[in-house]
Amino acid sequence: MEKLLRDKKALLLFVFPTFLIFTTIIILPIFFSLYYSTLKWDGFSQGVFVGINNYKNLFMANTDGFPRSVLNSFILAVVSVCIQLPLALFLALVLSRGIKGERFFRTVYFIPVIISTVVIGQLCMKIFDPDYGIVNVILKAIGLGSLQRMWLADPKTALGAVFAAMLWQYVGYHMLLMYASAKSISTDIFEAATIDGASEARIAFSITIPLMKPILRVCVIFAVVGSFKAFDLIFVMTGGGPLHSTDVPTTLMYNTIFNRSQYGYGSAMAIFIIVECLVCTVLIQKAFGKDIEY
Amino acid sequence: MKSFAKIGSVFLAVSLVAGLSACSPASSSANPASASNQKVTLTFWNNYTNDPQHIMADTITEWNTKNPNIQINASATENNAYKLKIKTAIAAGNAPDIIYTWAGGFTQPFVQANKILALDSYLNDGTKDKMLTGALTNITYDGKVYGLTYNQQAGALYCNTQLFDKNGVKIPTTFDELLAAVKTFKSKGVTAMTVGEKDEWPGMWYFDMIALRETGAQMSLDALNKKASYNQAPFADAAGKLQDLVKAGAFSANVLSETRDQSVAEFTQGKIPMYFSGNFDASMIDASSLKGHVTAVKFPTITGSKGVDTEYLGGGADALAVSANSKYKDQAVQAIKFLAATYSSRMYLSGGGLPEWKYDDIDESKIDPLSKQIMSTIVQGSTGSVPAWDLYLTGNDAQTHYDLVQSLFGNQITPQQFAEQMQSKVNGNS
Repeated sequence: MEKLLRDKKALLLFVFPTFLIFTTIIILPIFFSLYYSTLKWDGFSQGVFVGINNYKNLFMANTDGFPRSVLNSFILAVVSVCIQLPLALFLALVLSRGIKGERFFRTVYFIPVIISTVVIGQLCMKIFDPDYGIVNVILKAIGLGSLQRMWLADPKTALGAVFAAMLWQYVGYHMLLMYASAKSISTDIFEAATIDGASEARIAFSITIPLMKPILRVCVIFAVVGSFKAFDLIFVMTGGGPLHSTDVPTTLMYNTIFNRSQYGYGSAMAIFIIVECLVCTVLIQKAFGKDIEY
Repeated sequence: MKSFAKIGSVFLAVSLVAGLSACSPASSSANPASASNQKVTLTFWNNYTNDPQHIMADTITEWNTKNPNIQINASATENNAYKLKIKTAIAAGNAPDIIYTWAGGFTQPFVQANKILALDSYLNDGTKDKMLTGALTNITYDGKVYGLTYNQQAGALYCNTQLFDKNGVKIPTTFDELLAAVKTFKSKGVTAMTVGEKDEWPGMWYFDMIALRETGAQMSLDALNKKASYNQAPFADAAGKLQDLVKAGAFSANVLSETRDQSVAEFTQGKIPMYFSGNFDASMIDASSLKGHVTAVKFPTITGSKGVDTEYLGGGADALAVSANSKYKDQAVQAIKFLAATYSSRMYLSGGGLPEWKYDDIDESKIDPLSKQIMSTIVQGSTGSVPAWDLYLTGNDAQTHYDLVQSLFGNQITPQQFAEQMQSKVNGNS
């Protein structure tokens, strides 16, 4: 095996097909998009080169609400990191300490990740339905009828309703990553800490969480980048509406390219999303610093 | 490792050979039919992938059996993909002989690029006499006819007579009566109208209809053709009228998150007394338990405005055209004359569309009742029509129009802003 791995030709032979596929379906299209983003192009006729005009239109003299959609995606990122991840961490820590029914709860929390997004979208649309949706029904039943809303039809509440569904969907995913990481910590350390008289909370904050740092970093990156490129659930539940209140850059991009036939301008949005994700990934990597080892 | 390389090279060689043979020019295409008995195959692309599909297929089979020398080879693509496919093919000069298209703004760019055959010289054999008056209006550009329409749309106000009788409301004929009816229903706890505004286009039907009543057909058409401004009082008034309906509580508060399917369902479940939409919903309503309790009437007129009740939202929509690059132009025109005339009657019979061709030979009793009512009260004897605006406006412009109408439903803009933005964003942007 080692001999094989040292053979450069063999390496090339094995890596080449994947490299080829990766390049043609991921790297090349990015460069194509970069080129398209400099055109004023309807997708059919000859495109006209307009330089960086499309990028200017994204933020200066903008008419389609792109800055607002970016703001929405930032709100989603902040909410994910501040609510979703702590919740996932809490669940992971509790489960990893071997409570009763550990496997059962682990499976239950992970179920939303397995269900198709379209199914979740349909479920949530029913949950938020103003007439028979469970949210309004419960509010009414407990005497809080004044809090009932047209959740998905009201531009003021639609964003919150969609985000709630998204947070719920991925808690289990982050929980599982963190749980696996917490489980991989040697039990010797915990035993030693217990003998020294450390409380459960103390163990969590001084031992488990610091040792989980690599996976926490991965989770933060996934949460932030995932928020920037979130599309499916929003598209199913509201399609960016009502009145563009739930638009994020991806839904706006879809609308721009496929409904408005503005391929060039839409490509500029795509490039913006790619750059945004790359920059944030690098920044988060830097912010976390070096890993701790005991 | 050596065996790896060997297998690899053999594989490469095989794939190369396969690639070569695949790329070699296909058997040189047949010459244009010079002799009449030479067999000709016409290609025909359409978007009939769902329901009226069998009508399309049966008609083509019938033609192919009758005309062994002119065979039609049809292929259907899903609606949205079809729009993309046909635009690309026409731009690249690979259009099929027979093209399914939409009259109005969709076909215009193809005509301007000289990709579509002008049919005028073919139509003086009595074909025009077989068609209904105005059937070719939307497919005529610069005085020339570029296609044969076979299906038209017409907007109708569907009224649930049970709910009207129960609540003691008269079916409105003027806009003031409509507003009064909305308020009466509202006071009895009934939401008067429904629209699936999450899908955006259904709300556009309401606005475009009110605009037609405010402006009259000519001004609406002029604005759509960029010959007149949207920033005129009648358009702003129309936007104001729509907002009056919204503010009077004509629609459910949930209107912005309802889809078109949900809104039709609410109507067919008998919860909603009024629904303005196209004739394409007629067969769905007749298939529901409401059958016989729904009447399709003209949209109310607005007192003191230019619009009259003999104008309707709709007109020729589906059309067949012949590619200017077709090798068999004569045969293709011959075929679309048969296809368009036959579809026209058959779709009318099934409730799938309103005819563009004279239909004296079909059995009246077998026609879908609501379609028949729309045909006799709204379309026949009409003095003008304006298609739903998204037939004229394309791509970006249509989407801008949808968005602005949705903003009216959401009370986000004033009627005046609506008129100004329609002008600056749609007509000002060329």
